[in-house]
Amino acid sequence: MAPPAGQIRPAKYLGAFVLIVVALYSLVFFTGNGKATPKLGIDLQGGTRVTLTARAPDGKTPSEESLNQARTLIETRVNGLGVAGPEVIRDGTNLVITVPGSDSEGAKRLGQTAKLNFRKVIGSPVPNAPEPAPSDSATPSASGSAVPTTTGSAAPTESAGSAAPTTTAQGRPAPAFEAQPETTTPPAATTTPAADPNAPVDPNAPAGEQPPAESQVDCRAVFQGQYSDDPTKAIEESRTCRQDPQLTTLDAQTVSQALGAFTCPAVDPLIGNDDPALPLLTCDQDRTEKYVLAPVTPPTDGSVKDDDFSLYSRLSGEDIDNAVSGTDPQGAGFVVDLTFKGEGGDKWGKFTSANVSQQVAVVLDTQVVSAPNINEPILGGSTQISGKFTQAEANSLANVLKYGSLPLSFEASEAETVSATLGLASLKAGLIAGGIGLALVFVYCLFYYRLLGVLTILSLVLSGVIVYAVLVLLGRWIGFTLDLAGIAGFIVSIGITADSFVVFFERLKDEMREGRSFRSAVPRAWVRSRRTILSADMVSFLAAAILYVLAVGQVKGFAFTLGMSTVLDLVVVFLVTHPLVSMISKSKRLSNPKLSGLGGAVQASVDDRALSGAKSTAVKEV
Amino acid sequence: MAETKKRNVFQRLYVGNGAFDIVGKRKRWYLVFGLILLICIGSIVFRGFNLGIDFTGGTRIQMPAISSSGTIGVEEAKESFEKAIGKEPAATQTVGTGDAATIQIRSETLNADEVLKLKTTLNDDLQPNGGVDAISDSAVSASWGGEITSQALIALIVFFIAVMIFLALYFELSMAIAALVAVLHDVLITAGVYSIVGFEVSPATVIGLLTILGFSLYDTVVVFDKVRENTRGLLGLTRRTYGEAANLAVNQTLMRSINTSLIAVLPVLGLLAIGVGLLGVGTLKDLALVQLTGIIIGALSSIYIATPVAVDLKMRDARYKAQAARVQARRDNLARKAATGEATAEVLSGGDIVESTDDESLQAELRKEKAMAAAAGVPARTGKSTDTRRRPTGKKHR
Repeated sequence: MAPPAGQIRPAKYLGAFVLIVVALYSLVFFTGNGKATPKLGIDLQGGTRVTLTARAPDGKTPSEESLNQARTLIETRVNGLGVAGPEVIRDGTNLVITVPGSDSEGAKRLGQTAKLNFRKVIGSPVPNAPEPAPSDSATPSASGSAVPTTTGSAAPTESAGSAAPTTTAQGRPAPAFEAQPETTTPPAATTTPAADPNAPVDPNAPAGEQPPAESQVDCRAVFQGQYSDDPTKAIEESRTCRQDPQLTTLDAQTVSQALGAFTCPAVDPLIGNDDPALPLLTCDQDRTEKYVLAPVTPPTDGSVKDDDFSLYSRLSGEDIDNAVSGTDPQGAGFVVDLTFKGEGGDKWGKFTSANVSQQVAVVLDTQVVSAPNINEPILGGSTQISGKFTQAEANSLANVLKYGSLPLSFEASEAETVSATLGLASLKAGLIAGGIGLALVFVYCLFYYRLLGVLTILSLVLSGVIVYAVLVLLGRWIGFTLDLAGIAGFIVSIGITADSFVVFFERLKDEMREGRSFRSAVPRAWVRSRRTILSADMVSFLAAAILYVLAVGQVKGFAFTLGMSTVLDLVVVFLVTHPLVSMISKSKRLSNPKLSGLGGAVQASVDDRALSGAKSTAVKEV
Repeated sequence: MAETKKRNVFQRLYVGNGAFDIVGKRKRWYLVFGLILLICIGSIVFRGFNLGIDFTGGTRIQMPAISSSGTIGVEEAKESFEKAIGKEPAATQTVGTGDAATIQIRSETLNADEVLKLKTTLNDDLQPNGGVDAISDSAVSASWGGEITSQALIALIVFFIAVMIFLALYFELSMAIAALVAVLHDVLITAGVYSIVGFEVSPATVIGLLTILGFSLYDTVVVFDKVRENTRGLLGLTRRTYGEAANLAVNQTLMRSINTSLIAVLPVLGLLAIGVGLLGVGTLKDLALVQLTGIIIGALSSIYIATPVAVDLKMRDARYKAQAARVQARRDNLARKAATGEATAEVLSGGDIVESTDDESLQAELRKEKAMAAAAGVPARTGKSTDTRRRPTGKKHR
């Protein structure tokens, strides 16, 4: 039977809601894997999450392109770990790696892989700690005509003795000199520094006393491992002191002195931010050895010929095609086989030809990973690095070489491993908290609104039903994971959802207080409260949306669930709560004021009228 | 009047007939909340915050406090840590109770190898339930919290601007400003409470602080909606001043504010109880305290700060001042008459009877609603009734 014209048809709205629920749940059960479980975050199911923050050396935002490239590379690497279901997500300038399950320790090491370069070792490394490092050596896998001479003029133009370089201080990189090879002591031979590492800085030591005119950087402090607290400043300081262009132009003794004065910092601010066009003073990864390294690329002012490879390898990690670790065919131990791609092989050939019996350092993120000797020119684009590697070391070196080169360098901002048991406990706690919260709300609503309270509960439950379906679907479609913060978001949104009902019911009460019947109060109250509900939800959605767009990390989950419940709340209020109330208002038995909990309002209206009635009589009596 | 006195506080609350003079005594509330605000700011400035691992950087290890041989003590965990790393941990504590109890160890940043070693040692020494897999760790760089905070601040500013625009369009500028004042007040007080309680500030806290903005504004919007409704066409009337109309609106929404806040607070209380008592789970606990404070303060400020400020701003408008003067004049007039016969004393009490002044707009909207429903529905209407409805508008296509 059609209701009279102009009346809302509750059945229609409820039908629409049922349709939505059916549609959602058929999507849940008949698409994807058909499993009705939302995707859980690692804090709920256990696993490892690493947040890598791109390190921008100059404070600039890294480009989209390089971030995406880095993401792809890291994804490849994570998949290489061989664990199930890893995920690499970009979140602003962060990359968030999530590896579920308990066996995911490896993920934490991914952040350290970054910029890879090949740099020639100038002079000989000096031990940082008393123990000498094992000397690495490289055996060529391809042999060619040996041309062990360096090219270019070899005139040593540096001032004699322990030079007074202050007089030659220049802002631009000094022209390259090929003096070094001649004065270099054979690398394998020495571990004794010319200067005591702990000796005070020689006042004439080149880098130690070279403050550029524009910024007063105390290189003595820098060399002793003291940097500014401000990261950008610290990077600048390390660059000024440890990437002094003159490092390549000085004689062996001065270089040794500089090396001796330098202390490996516990936390190197320069990491990943060294300039490949400048020389570098740095340590190896264990901080046992100190090196002076040549620039990777020559200055761009044309002062160096294109075929001059005496100092410059011109090779970065991007030239590496593949790296595989294996056992040494000629003896015990492990080796790493390396192939270059494109011009890389050619460059490597020229570089090794020009630097036979010198050391070349594999520099990862400013730290020397390995510094093998070049035994002979290596032509043909592939090479083998051998040394006293354990299998794990060879593996890790191969990985570094293979995947090491990211277009950006990263720092692990947050690394978290949550055990499965703890995750389960958190999930349980979250659900208990939600359950308790919901139960309290139920009790209060029943107490205060009676029959309308039942409606509230019903609406909340229905709202929960669609929230769950949407959760499952979003997990499937956009990889939305429910984490602890998300659960908190839902619990908090119980309040917001229930509030729409409260606003509606209170308006209903207002109308009835003015003396209207329940039936005639419903449409009036609805029109009024609808506006309020819409605007209030709008504000709260706005808050969630802005949070979602701008916030980082776990906060996103919270904002997302909050915003989602706000929207779904509107759906429930419009399609369920209002039609149901309107249905009740038409039933004589159900709209009994005692049942609806609005008896007080009715009573108040009666009181008011009685009161004003009494007053008017009083007036008459006077 | 004897009859009015008879109603107790709860009845007055329930009925919302404007019996609480909130706007009129606003100076008192400004003073009270100003004092609270001062205390909070003082605490923030002098006491500061207990910054969590996300701001200071470090490693946190978490493991079940139950082993096969009983409960694991804090001291044992400390010793084991020292054995593994050679340094003392920054803090060791037990959180949670019963089966869910965990031991948390915080230290300076450890690298992956050290963490692995530590986990193995802890497992060997203490044998917590679940073995080495049950030990969780998280490492955070010192800049992470800072990054989250700076993002949060950006979000805060963007949010303020967006909300200002929204409210200024939806209501009017004076209400937008008043809402903003209330929100700022809420944020400061919540932050102050956090500083006083000394809970650890985590990124979740910072974010929770942002979400209470939503809450606070939500409340304010609801109250302002009623204020707007009550003050529509007020300038042409001499029944009550703007302030009195706003006070009536506050009273009318008082019960709603209380109900809403209660309903919102109950789940958060559950969250807090579970978070603190049972598990010591960071995110839950942090968010819960912020939300709890925020909801309560947000509800209070929408009543005691937002509306009075809106009234104060509004009363700077000459037209409203003139209207208030007219209301006063009328009352004086009535009072003079009342001197001869006390009949109209009721008027002086500031409007006992709840009523809304926007009846016309409401009627219009209801008519539209009905027309829409009719148009969308089965044409079961009789020609006669629709014609009656249509005639006044003069539009045929409606």
